Parts: sequence; C-alpha cells; structure tokens
Amino acid sequence: MKDDQQPISRKAFMEELERYRKGSVTRRHFLGVTGLGTAMAVMGGSLPRMARAQDIGNRVVLATWPNYHDPADFDAFTDKTGAYTQVNVFGSNEEMLAKIQAGGSGWDVFVPTNYAIPTYVDAGLIEPLDLSKIPNYDPASYDPRFAEAGTIDGTVYGVPKNWGTTGIAFNSSKTGGVVDSWKTFFDGARDQFDGRVMVHDYQLTTIGNALVYHGFSFNSVDPAELAKAEELLIDVKPHLYAISSDYQPSMRNGDAWLTMCWTGDGKQMNTDMPEIGFALGKEGGEIWSDYYAIPKDAPHKDAAYALINFLLDPEVNAREALAHGYPVADARTNALLPQELLDDPIIYPAAEALSPLEFGAAVTLTDPNRAELMARFKSA
Amino acid sequence: MAMTRSRARALLLTPAGLWYAAMLLLPLAVVLIFSFGERSQIGGYAPGFTLEQYANLPARFAAFRNTLTLAPLGTLASLLIAYPLAYYLAVKVTPKWKTMLLVLVIVPFWTSILIRSYAWIFLLGGKGIPAFLAMFGLEDVRLLNTPFAVLVGIVYGYLPLMVFPIYVALEKLDKRLLEAAADLGTPPWRAFLQITLPLSMPGVLTGSMLVFILLMGEFLIPSILGGGKVFFVGNALVDLFLQSRNWPFGSAVAVGLVLVMLVTVGLYTRAAKRFGAGRDDAALM
Amino acid sequence: MERAASMHVRPEETVAEFVGATKRYGEVLAADRIDLRIRRGEFLSFLGPSGCGKTTALRMLAGFETPTDGTVLIDGQDVSAVPAHRRPVNMVFQHYALFPHMTVEENVGYGLRQRRPRLSRREIGDKVAKALATVRLDAFGPRRIWEMSGGQQQRVALARAIVNEPKILLLDEPMAALDAKLRGEMQRELLDLQRQLGITFVLVTHDQEEALAMSDRICIMGKGRIAQIGSPQELYDRPATRYVADFVGKANILSARIVARAGGTAQAVLGNGAAVTVADAPGDARGEAEIAVRPEALSLAPSGEAPGPGVAAVAATVTHRTFLGDHTEYLLDAPGVGALQVNVPRQAERVPGGHGMGASVHVIWPEGAGLVLAAG
Repeated sequence: MKDDQQPISRKAFMEELERYRKGSVTRRHFLGVTGLGTAMAVMGGSLPRMARAQDIGNRVVLATWPNYHDPADFDAFTDKTGAYTQVNVFGSNEEMLAKIQAGGSGWDVFVPTNYAIPTYVDAGLIEPLDLSKIPNYDPASYDPRFAEAGTIDGTVYGVPKNWGTTGIAFNSSKTGGVVDSWKTFFDGARDQFDGRVMVHDYQLTTIGNALVYHGFSFNSVDPAELAKAEELLIDVKPHLYAISSDYQPSMRNGDAWLTMCWTGDGKQMNTDMPEIGFALGKEGGEIWSDYYAIPKDAPHKDAAYALINFLLDPEVNAREALAHGYPVADARTNALLPQELLDDPIIYPAAEALSPLEFGAAVTLTDPNRAELMARFKSA
Repeated sequence: MAMTRSRARALLLTPAGLWYAAMLLLPLAVVLIFSFGERSQIGGYAPGFTLEQYANLPARFAAFRNTLTLAPLGTLASLLIAYPLAYYLAVKVTPKWKTMLLVLVIVPFWTSILIRSYAWIFLLGGKGIPAFLAMFGLEDVRLLNTPFAVLVGIVYGYLPLMVFPIYVALEKLDKRLLEAAADLGTPPWRAFLQITLPLSMPGVLTGSMLVFILLMGEFLIPSILGGGKVFFVGNALVDLFLQSRNWPFGSAVAVGLVLVMLVTVGLYTRAAKRFGAGRDDAALM
Repeated sequence: MERAASMHVRPEETVAEFVGATKRYGEVLAADRIDLRIRRGEFLSFLGPSGCGKTTALRMLAGFETPTDGTVLIDGQDVSAVPAHRRPVNMVFQHYALFPHMTVEENVGYGLRQRRPRLSRREIGDKVAKALATVRLDAFGPRRIWEMSGGQQQRVALARAIVNEPKILLLDEPMAALDAKLRGEMQRELLDLQRQLGITFVLVTHDQEEALAMSDRICIMGKGRIAQIGSPQELYDRPATRYVADFVGKANILSARIVARAGGTAQAVLGNGAAVTVADAPGDARGEAEIAVRPEALSLAPSGEAPGPGVAAVAATVTHRTFLGDHTEYLLDAPGVGALQVNVPRQAERVPGGHGMGASVHVIWPEGAGLVLAAG
C-alpha cells in the first residue's frame, strides 16, 4: 500500500523512460506519467488475492491517458475482485491505434476518444459490449452528447468515461487579459505574443484550430481549406515558441504566454497559478469524449467488464473525477461532486461556450493529407 | 584439425550471426518490403508493389536537409570540444586525477539522455542562462527551442562518445615520440600538428563516425530542445510510424535514411583516407 | 679493444659541461651535483644500475629535463633554460621512438624539415640518402617503419639523429632491445660510425661490457652522483671505491688491516694473518680498509707446493669450479678470509685438468696485485 501511494514507482518510471526513449510515448505522456502526483503506476499488490465468488483472474490490463485515474480506486478494485490493474499510458489515439493495429497489445480495457471509435469498428479491432455485464452503466443518466459516439449502427462499443475541451491557456499577467479566440491566438502569435505561443504537436488540434481561425470546420479535410490552414501555420511557425504538447513547464515558468490546452491541464495550471487562465475559442474548437472499450483480442474479458463496471460506479467515478479534474457526463456521478467543481467554468463551461465546439471526426484520424500537412508544418 | 578449427570458428560466429540476422537483416527486410507497399485506409501497411512511397520522399526533404546540416555540425562541434578535453585527460592530468575525471565524463551517462535534456530545458529556458545574461544587460535572449539549443543538447549528449575514442588514441600515443620531435628541432605546437594530431586521427575518425551515425537517427534532442520546431528525419519517422501510421512511407523514409547514411559515411571515409594520405605530404613540409 | 678513435680526442677541448647539475623530483635526488666535462670527439658512457642518475644526466643534456640547480653548458653556452628543440644535440632513443605514420626517409628527414630557414627539398633528399647509406639502409627509404626489423629500426633511429650533424649524439640504451649477436655487430658499427663522423657520442647503458668495449671514458654513476670517471682500463685497474670495483668487472673484496704503507704500496694483513702487498689509495691513513683484487690477478697452487719468495699464499678449499674453455673459474673458501674467486687461464693450470672440487690449494697473491679501496 505504501508504495501505491507514490505517484509512480522507480521501476515504472524507468520503464516509462525506456519507452519514451524508444519513441513509443510522447513527451506529454512521459511527463504526465512521471511528473504529477496523480500519475499512474503499476497498480495493486503483487500477490494474487483470495479467490472471489466470481473468479475473473488476477489481472487486468488498462491502456489509458496520463493523469486520468485515482490509483486508490485500482487498489479498491483489487481488494474487491482479486485482480490487479496494470496500467499503460499513451499520448495519442493514433499511438493507441498503432499498438492495437500491430496486434498482441495484451490490453483488456482501453480508452479511445469519440473520433477513434469508427476506425476501430471498421478495422474489427473492438469488441461489441455486453451491457448486461456493466450494470453500473445507466444510459438514461448520461448526457447523450457525450455517449452517442460509443454506439455505431446500433451496437454499443464504448461507454463514456469523461469529456473535455481543447481551448486556450493564457498567462493573463503577460497577455494583459483573457484570450478567448483563435483569431487573437494566431494573429497575436505573429504580433504582440511573438515567440510566446505554443501549439500542440498533434495534427487534430493544431490543424483543427487553424481551420477554425479561417472559419472552416475543425474537422475539415477539404484540400482548399487545408491549404489555407497550412498557409496560416507555416506563416506562424517562425513566431512560435514551440510545437509541443508538453506545454505546462513552459507556461509555468513564463517562457510561453499562450498555448493550446486540454481542459485538465488548464485546470491544473489555474489551480497552481491563478494568473494562468483557460478559455474556449469563441469561433469553435474541439470538444471530446472518451470511452471505455474492450479490444477484440483482450485476454481477460471478464476482468475487463468487471473493471469498467467498477469504474462506472457513481461513487468510484466521483472519486476519479476529483482526482483528475475532467468533467463527467453521468448525472448520478455529478450529484456526488462538490458544487464548486460543478460551477468551475474551466471544467464545466457554460453551454453557450460549448455550442460552437465540434467533436473530432473519424476521418481526421486517418486522413493522410492532414498528416502530411503536419509534417510540412513541423519541418518548415 | 582444419575441420575442428572451422567448426570452432562457426560456433564462435554463430551467436553474432544469428543476432545480426534477427536484429538487423530481418527488420531491414521488413522495412524494405513495407516501403514498396501502400498505406491502408485506416493507416498501417497494406501489401502492394508501388514506388509511390519513394516518389513521395521529397516531401521529407526538409527533414533530410535539417539532419544533414545539424548532424555534421553537431559532430564537428562535439569534436572541437571533445579533442581538447580528451587531450587534457590523456596527456596533462596526473594519474591520480585521471580516473576521477574519466568517471566524471561518464557519469552523465548513468542517467537517461531524456532527463539530462530536460535539465537543459531549464538551463536554456527563460529562468536559466537568459536570466543570467539579462543581469548583464543582454535582454530577451532566446536559447531554448532553437537550432542552437539542439546543437548544445547534441554536443552535451554525445560528448563522451567523442571523448573516449580520442582519449584512447591519445593515451596510446608514445610520449617519447614528442620528445623525439623536440629533439629533432620541433617546437611543441608544431609537434602537436605533426605527431599528436595525425596519430590520434583513428580516434577522431572513430568518434566522429560514431557520433555522426547516431546523430543521423536522433529525434529526442530536437524534439525536446528544439521545441518541435527542429525536425530531423528521426522525428519524421516517429510521426510516420506512431502518429499518421503511414508505415510504407515511413519505411521508405527509413530506407532513404540508411542510403543517405551509407553515402555520407562512404564519402567521409574516403575523405578521411585522402586526409590520411595527405598527412604524409604535410609531414614532408 | 684497440681504441683507434682515441686519435680524435683533443683533451683540451670541451664540448659540453655539467656544473653542479642537480635534478630533484620532490624528495628524490635524481642527479646530485654532477660536475663533468665532455671532450669534443670522445665516446663517453654513463654507466650504472637503474636509478643511478645516468638517464637524468643524459636528459639534462638533451633538454628534456631542466636542472633544479647548477648548469649545463654546450660549447660554452649555458643551455640550462634552452628547450630541447633548440639544442644542437640529437638522441637515439631507447625504443627508437620512430614516427609510425611516416616512412623511413620521412623519419630520417624529419629533423631537416624542421630547420628554419627551410632547406630545399633536394638538399634534404641528398642528406637523407647519405644518412641512409651511412647506416646501410640505402634501399629502404620508402618503407614503412613497421616493415623494418628491430636492428633496421635501430639504424633508422641512428640515421635520423646523425643526419642533423649534431654537436653531440646521445644514445639512450640504444642496444637494449637487440639480441646479443646483433648487439655486438651494432657496437662495432657505432664505433666505426663515430670514427667516421668524428661526433661526440654520449651513451647511457647499464651494461658494463658495452661501456668497456666502446667508451673512451666511462662515467660511473651511483645514487645520482658520479662515482668515478676514467678510461675503461683505469676503472678496471684502479677502481676508487667498492661500488666501482663491484660494478666494473669482478672483484674479490676483503677486509684487511693496513700495517705499513710506503711509495704507493701498502702492506695488508688478511683475516687469516696472511700479509699481502697491494697498491695504496692516495692520501689514505686508515688502519682498517677494504682491499680489492681481480680474480685473474690471483692464481692457484696445490697446497703441497711451497709458494715462491715475495708471493703471499692463502690456504683455501675449492667449493665450485666452472670450466669456461680458455679459463676456469674457481670459487674457494679461505678460512679467516672468506669466499674468493680465482680465474685460472688454461695454460696456467698447475695441475693437469685443474683442481678438483674439495681440493686444498694455496691462493697465490703476487706482490702488488689488488689495491686499497677508498672509503664510501
């Protein structure tokens, strides 16, 4: 138990490091895993516990995102079922897809984002869920907006975990106020914020927000629109501080003033440094929803169902939300959360701020043109 | 006897042979096959035979250009810093301190290049060296996320690889040769150019080759210290395999990298040989 | 060996001089107040065991060491502070120190190429060719160093030094790496070369035979000091101290009581009461002293034979005998005196086949054989 309180064990840290070196995880992931207090570890006791009434084996493998769980919940799961949870953390859906596509991932549960699910379904890599094994999932209590992407052609492949947005984090003491539009973001990058702006090392959000700047859809794959986005990005590039999804350190030490930012990061920075704010682009941007799902070749399917069901228990889910700071779509869970969390404009933005946002589309994940555009941008 | 000897030789070479076959040739073969394939609809590899991926190589021209600029530059910078250091360690330091200083050169290798590069993020970032320079009136110096920062990271990360071969070459150098040179009327600086430098060339060549080849595949330092703005072929490969999952194109880029590496290393070796030949002419001056 | 080279020696001329030259490494005195004049054209050897200071002396001459105290002069100029590359001397190094990245002729021409103003390529070529011819390596110019045998490398090293026509040629144990046969040849060649060039040679060696065979003068070193300087014959016949007597050739060293001294001779009484007449050490007045006598200065007679007049006889027993062809080495035990060695030429054996093991003999000590050793 003592060890499990630690954000990450030495061994796990070295393993992560090794993986990072080999390039299988991104910087964001590495820092996420190793840096912060709520980080992942290889969870649970090493000893198989007593056999429980329902024997699900002693192990379940979870592939998820950094800073996305409360380690104590995995211990609770082990106490309850005898199965310990082995956690693998990833930096992007593309990376996760690459691993499953390569085969033999050994994962039992993974956490795809809405736009990735159709690809998994098309490729036959994802298991249709038997909802009778997930009694804690009550579709009626979920905001359908964050649940519908888990169902394709009437078959449920994923049940909602959390949702969030991709907005703008700004250091108000340097920017002189709130930055809440992609127009200011990209124009300011070439002007008053020259050398102080960061964009993600991620095609979906970087290209998507450049498209939004021009008034196009976040998800566009139209060549003419992509060309305009590329023009913008290449023009901005010499003025950028960095192209990196690991923006927290640079924001925190004041080198960067403005960055594309995911909800949870925005909340974390804002909590520690109130002058760093988080806003959604008023022209639009990304809203996303993550789902629990089971790969077709999952070796411990019973354990997978048990883990998903456990994590969706409203009490557990609330504890998770308190730990990672991402909003939940489950009304039962929200009822257990403190009011100030529900009122936090970063975590639960006003409905009108959300309305221009778009869910990422499946096509952006696999469109080769966007990938090439990103490569040209980075090497320009 | 001959039988057993050749059998013994076969036995000795078997592990290395298997290793090379499994770890080098097999992956290379896979990469070659992939490079002629097509990207499947959802990414990854779809069988096929097309030269499309190779035709597409100019799309990564900038990555090759960056790599082929910064790798030699990094090698040269490492050499210029490593040589005096190796010389000092091999020639000037008393044996008592030598071991300790050598260990100090290796110590950074005990931690990951990742951790060390992160330390440079702090040093080169706004609160590091630039803040120090600001105290002397040099305001707003940007070091981090520039090619310069990448160069610093490269030199720092690869220095021991350059120092050691040169150190070994200099250490082996018979000090009496320098006495002989002095005895024959050569002042110390000229003796360095005529004796020490030529005789340490094997170390210089080994170190440079080692650093250069590793630099050609580097992706971590540019992404960490270059802020993602300095794009090496290694970064292109990471993106192609892990982000856009365009394995066939990634494979073609990898094959391209291997070819470029073979050509540059070949040219380098030839130039080095020519230098070696010219050395004697220089000695005749 | 006949020293024809002595003809070149003009004793009045000094080519180099040590004046109180001292070299100290921390606590260690490597060279202690060395005073020495090296004569132009002579072949001088520094002889002594390792650590005696001979190499330090040579290196001070070459310029690789700066004296801590005292001075080194070459041609009357104080060169103590002149670095090696500006001294008109050249050295043949112990392991030759040839430049491995250069050919034979590049090695030999190296010193010439360092000259400023530069010599012409042709001039260098001619000199190199001549030097290579001198050491009989005419055809080897384009060879690589590693293609040469040990003896050939030795000649290259020699050529590389002499091509510069140095005022003094320094040789640091140049033959240590050669086998015995080659060493003999090389010694003769070096002597021929010195005769031919007329250059001063200064050799450092720990091999007394080499020093005896080649030198006009030998400077015996011990503990950083000069123990004795002299011609090989002088050192052999008149060793000043026990150290020298021990180091040069073999000597029986015995304790004796000096009972009378007159006209350069001394009457010494050995431990067994036998009285012998030996050469005296000048200015000595001690009653107790060590005396030295060379094994070949003594002879043996059967104990039954009465010694002749004026000849001292010491009773002894043969403990070892070694037949060496032209002579036999006898080790003897003389009661009251100790162990003695006597070398008897084959023609001088008094008993056919020589004295047997355990034979009782008289050691015959002719008048004037041996000498009193100075203290220290």
